[in-house]
Amino acid sequence: MNRVRILLATAGIAVLTGLWFAFISPVDRLQGEFSRILNLHAPFMWVAFLAFGVTAFASIMWLIRRTLRWDRLAVASVELGVVFTATGLFTGMVWGQAVWGRAWDWADPRMASTAVMFFVYIGYLALRRAIPDPEMRAKRSALLGAIAVIQVPLVYFSVNLFRSLHQTQSIRPDGATMPREMLTALLVNFVAITYLYFALLVGRLHLARLEEASAAETARGPDAVTPPRLSEVKDV
Amino acid sequence: MSFWAQAVEIARVDLRVERRLGDILRVVLPFAVVGLLVFPLALGVDLSAISLIGPAVFWAVGILFGMQVALRQAAHDNRERRDLYALLGVDPAARFVGRTISGSVLMVGFLVVLLAAMIVLYSPRLPEGWPIPVIVGLFLTAVGLTELGTLAGEVTAGLRNRTALASLIIVPLALPLVIGGSQTLESLARDTGILPWLLLLVATDLALAVAGVAMARPLEEASR
Repeated sequence: MNRVRILLATAGIAVLTGLWFAFISPVDRLQGEFSRILNLHAPFMWVAFLAFGVTAFASIMWLIRRTLRWDRLAVASVELGVVFTATGLFTGMVWGQAVWGRAWDWADPRMASTAVMFFVYIGYLALRRAIPDPEMRAKRSALLGAIAVIQVPLVYFSVNLFRSLHQTQSIRPDGATMPREMLTALLVNFVAITYLYFALLVGRLHLARLEEASAAETARGPDAVTPPRLSEVKDV
Repeated sequence: MSFWAQAVEIARVDLRVERRLGDILRVVLPFAVVGLLVFPLALGVDLSAISLIGPAVFWAVGILFGMQVALRQAAHDNRERRDLYALLGVDPAARFVGRTISGSVLMVGFLVVLLAAMIVLYSPRLPEGWPIPVIVGLFLTAVGLTELGTLAGEVTAGLRNRTALASLIIVPLALPLVIGGSQTLESLARDTGILPWLLLLVATDLALAVAGVAMARPLEEASR
């Protein structure tokens, strides 16, 4: 428990440091102050992709090993991935409203495909809720978790595949498309948000173990009530 | 019995059951054509707009009702039928391939009829030389959609809200198929080359086929 608290506290410090870097970095000449949203939007989306990748890996490992901890990891990562995708979409919409004048733009295939990806994993969570048996739940969701990742590359490369309003990747193999100070702030935020993901993941796994222990305790039932002996009862 | 002989036999049985039940011909297809009729009624009598949205409506209706084809009753094995296949030693991967073959045949037929209905009802402006590329795109989309439907059907087998749940899984995952299929016609109209979109469809179909074959055994275990 202490380990989880320390992780979450340090993740909080990391995120605050990232925000500080985001506020001291220079802004884009055309977009002004709104360009700072990049420091949150891009890391949120990166962590969402990472989370769904971890889910696919954990799902495949469950299919191989059949141990509960891989199932725990898969679902914990999906839950976080869904939250980070929603946050990434929201920050993207705020940015779009400020820069394009529209929160939702159909000329941006990244936006639409991310929303679709979001619903795939909502389906994953709905599937889990529909199956009461833990073994069956783990088995079926592992299969879906391994297959669902198939569309993640399409979402990532959609900005390259289609004519789009969305900017292409800012950090490329041939160098970054921004000044060094902006790049530093962005990289600090990438590290901070990734660390936050891992801290939350560890916390969620800890919670899942507690939930399982509690469920096992409930299934076992309370100790049987011992009827009083006749000799112990007064006023008979 | 070889793997392919098993797959073909499964497909044959599946098609025969579908012919007897007639779900697709008598229920899904007429309902899908009604779906095509609803859009212009909602839009109003604007012939140029109707002609413009025709292909998009075709893909939307095709995907939504295609799910019903993929999740048809004939493709759903009950527990006894699964046990029978297991006792007969039918390879689960052959079952997946067989289901994909029969489902693709039905899905291609369904989409071709729907396409013809869309052309008649919407009079879209189609580019020259459209039939072959569109049919190829349609075929590849149908295969992918069937593979997805077979996988989702197995994952949700026996669950209370199976149809809604499987649809929630299939529709978002069908994104590469919808994009590939619709962009084939779009690229043909713009004369920008359809090869990348056909390759996207082929890659998606192959990825789903590999996933389906590799996971056939765990899928069979999961659906019991």
